[in-house]
Amino acid sequence: MLPLVLAAYTAPEERALITRLQQRDPQALAELYDRYGRLAYSLVLRIVRDSAIAEDLVQETFLRVWNRVHSIDSDKGAIGSWLLAIARNRALDYLRSSAGRERNAVKLDETDHAPLYGQMEAEILISDQARRVKAAMGKLAPNYRTVMELAYFEGLSQSEMSARLGQPLGTIKTWVRAALQSLRDELGAAVSP
Amino acid sequence: MNCDELRDHYDLYALGIAEEPERTEIRAHLDRGCEVCMAGVRDSLRVAALIGASAEQTQPSAQLRRRILASIGAEDQTVAPSTVQPRPGWLPGWAAALALAALAIIAVYFAVNSRQYAREAAQLRREAAQLREQATVLSEAGARLRGQLRDQTAEVARLTQALAIISGPRTAEASFGGGQPRPPQGKVFVNPARGVLFIASNLPRTAADRIYEMWLIPKGKGAKPIPAGLFQSQANGNALHIRPGTVDIASTAAIAVTLENRAGAAQPTSTPFIVAPLAATPR
Repeated sequence: MLPLVLAAYTAPEERALITRLQQRDPQALAELYDRYGRLAYSLVLRIVRDSAIAEDLVQETFLRVWNRVHSIDSDKGAIGSWLLAIARNRALDYLRSSAGRERNAVKLDETDHAPLYGQMEAEILISDQARRVKAAMGKLAPNYRTVMELAYFEGLSQSEMSARLGQPLGTIKTWVRAALQSLRDELGAAVSP
Repeated sequence: MNCDELRDHYDLYALGIAEEPERTEIRAHLDRGCEVCMAGVRDSLRVAALIGASAEQTQPSAQLRRRILASIGAEDQTVAPSTVQPRPGWLPGWAAALALAALAIIAVYFAVNSRQYAREAAQLRREAAQLREQATVLSEAGARLRGQLRDQTAEVARLTQALAIISGPRTAEASFGGGQPRPPQGKVFVNPARGVLFIASNLPRTAADRIYEMWLIPKGKGAKPIPAGLFQSQANGNALHIRPGTVDIASTAAIAVTLENRAGAAQPTSTPFIVAPLAATPR
């Protein structure tokens, strides 16, 4: 069951936290962990499915945020989505290297486009929206849900999904687009800028 | 490619599964600060972040917080030091004195050792943090190299695509800019099945908020030009731009280029400064 509270913080709080991180305040990292540690750990665990490895990867994630926090714009203030993107990339990189496969899907480099995350609303990860996504994922047709999970949680490209599921590439592309559209329809204003 | 053509690929890009050439095009738009694509990708990143947040919530071990703080050389201050509650005295006086003396010796022993342990632990934490920082630096160097490899792979794919257009059957060819002192000059190759290849030199440098846009000019008076992608010239004035896809050569009069605002335009906003009329029959 999804907990009621994930991470609901206002933009000013988030801005202040980013500023303190940029000023190298260790206590700010502790607070950042208190806000997003469980969220990041849950995501990484969902991907790697090993609690010890997940904790190592979450530790690397927070260290990377600490080392790269200057690339976030504290004026806009939203670090959670960026942190989750780093956590996901770390976990998918681990998954790829442990499986000894090249990842065909090209990851979105969260460092290159850090300002994009910084310009999101701090409230993007509040519990209600996450719960709606969870519900929306649950409502997807099984084949749509499968491709979304393979893309997001396993980092498979559409070609890799085609091979994994034994479906033509065109079919996979159709499913991916339809799944994304269904998610957006279900979420409505939750994902509107 | 213009922003309209990329719009449908923002979600795929945010998930990391966009394909070429759209991935490279979106990345290029973001790199040059294209407001349209930045807003679109930001919206898609919201969806991606929410999908990540929808994972079943699980609590990590209590040690993780401490480990993370230790990795930057900080203490976890939320753990309250254990306290020893005094107990009512019940030993005889001499035994209590003896016990107190023993405790004092033990306390001194542990105090000396604990300071030593604390120094060693702090040193280990500093070394661990340094090692992690080095690992991060190495990891980023690796990421940069992977990025360069990706860029080179994309460039090879682009040149392969260009070669396919040039060498394809039924490719029509046109030149522009010849015979003038130092104008933009170059060639256009149009293949009905593979698309349009535009190659130019001596292109003037554009202002920061401007970009070149290519157009297919249909035959017939009043026919509207068809957008065929945005591009920038290199620092030396050269440019190579491809608009993949089918082209009806019979109904296309010319390939043209205008200078537009960074997001591109649905229709030319100025007179084309390059026009390459297509020959009636392919070479």
